[in-house]
Amino acid sequence: MSETEALDTHLQELRRGTVVLACLRLLEQPGYGYGLLEELEGRGFDTDANTLYPLLRRLEKQGHLTSEWNTDEARPRKFYRTSAAGTRLAAQLTEEFRAIAGAIDALPKED
Amino acid sequence: MNSTLTDRYIDAAMRTVPEKQRADLSAELRASVADQIDARVESGEAREAAERAVLIELGDPDALAAGYTDRPLHLIGPRYYLLWWRLLRMLLWIVPPLAAFGIALGQALSGAPIGEVIGSTVVGVMGVVVYLCFWTTLVFAILERNTGKSPLEKNALTKDGPWAAWNIDQLPEPRESGARLSDLIGMIAYLVLVAAAILWDLLVGFVPGTQLSFLDPGLWPWWIAGLLVLMALEIALLYRVYRAGRWTYRLATVNAVLTAAFAIPAIWLLTQNRLLNPEFFPTLVPEDGAQVSQILAIITGFGIALFAVWGIVDAFLKARRAR
Repeated sequence: MSETEALDTHLQELRRGTVVLACLRLLEQPGYGYGLLEELEGRGFDTDANTLYPLLRRLEKQGHLTSEWNTDEARPRKFYRTSAAGTRLAAQLTEEFRAIAGAIDALPKED
Repeated sequence: MNSTLTDRYIDAAMRTVPEKQRADLSAELRASVADQIDARVESGEAREAAERAVLIELGDPDALAAGYTDRPLHLIGPRYYLLWWRLLRMLLWIVPPLAAFGIALGQALSGAPIGEVIGSTVVGVMGVVVYLCFWTTLVFAILERNTGKSPLEKNALTKDGPWAAWNIDQLPEPRESGARLSDLIGMIAYLVLVAAAILWDLLVGFVPGTQLSFLDPGLWPWWIAGLLVLMALEIALLYRVYRAGRWTYRLATVNAVLTAAFAIPAIWLLTQNRLLNPEFFPTLVPEDGAQVSQILAIITGFGIALFAVWGIVDAFLKARRAR
């Protein structure tokens, strides 16, 4: 594996959990797949449709998101929204993330 | 009606999705694809090209659908792999050799020519191996798909899976090196007993009242002398093993040569009807003596072969363990 490939896998590992957290927080306001994708990119959470859509489904199956079809516009869209359980999970994940960030700051500095 | 590329893609993806989720998933996927195409068209791409690009980016429709439905894209996953492998390995060590032995013995006893014996043994063993692998794998593939769907579940062998978890008492014991004093003395005693039995049989006879030997009298004296020489060589070899403290590949090879030097002439003599005394059974069992002789000859042949193979393999296994 070349250095960039190795870097990519590690970056992917690092980012994987944070996308879940971002989705749960952003979907406090109802959103649909593609809109969420654009917003995540805008906010610096780099992800793609292949990852995001199955992730939303999985979170819904676990009960952290609720969904409903919106047929107002010409194109019917499935809107997701964070459930109460999802909000709790988001809070726990955020707290854990802050703890980890603090722990990284406390690591011995490199000279 | 012309079905667009998108229609074809969504149809392909939905093929492996269960009925219940199909309508919902296809609608969501369609909306998602349309959104992505629109975004590309807005930034100046042609609609056709945008549609192609979006679908190519989504990738293999079966893989996409598997991601949505949490369907395992492997036959046997890490959960059951070790269990499957250990079970299969154990079965393959036990069943095909038994099958080979049984088929060969059966064919020989029913008087088939040597070519047919070998042929049916080989074919039979191949069939047994294929069946073993197929059914074991099938059972585990079904098991994989029917227990605990969550991919977050760790290795079932460490949880409350259908089989007991690996526990530390299952660690293999340190195996015997086969090179201790007791092994040496044991083997010497055994060889001496066998030599004594053979000599007694040929010189005095086991059947009271007559000078009837089980082994062919023509074996005396030269063949028996050869056997005694081989036994002496084997004792010397075992003494070397004892002094070395372990079996080595070289010593195991010498053992293999000595064992073969015993087994091959013995079986040759057997086929020449010169190993067992042809007068033995007809004298004791007047009626079907000849047939008993023949069956016994075949069984003896297999016995010698089995004993030889086991002796050779055992020495090599001990050498490998002592590496």
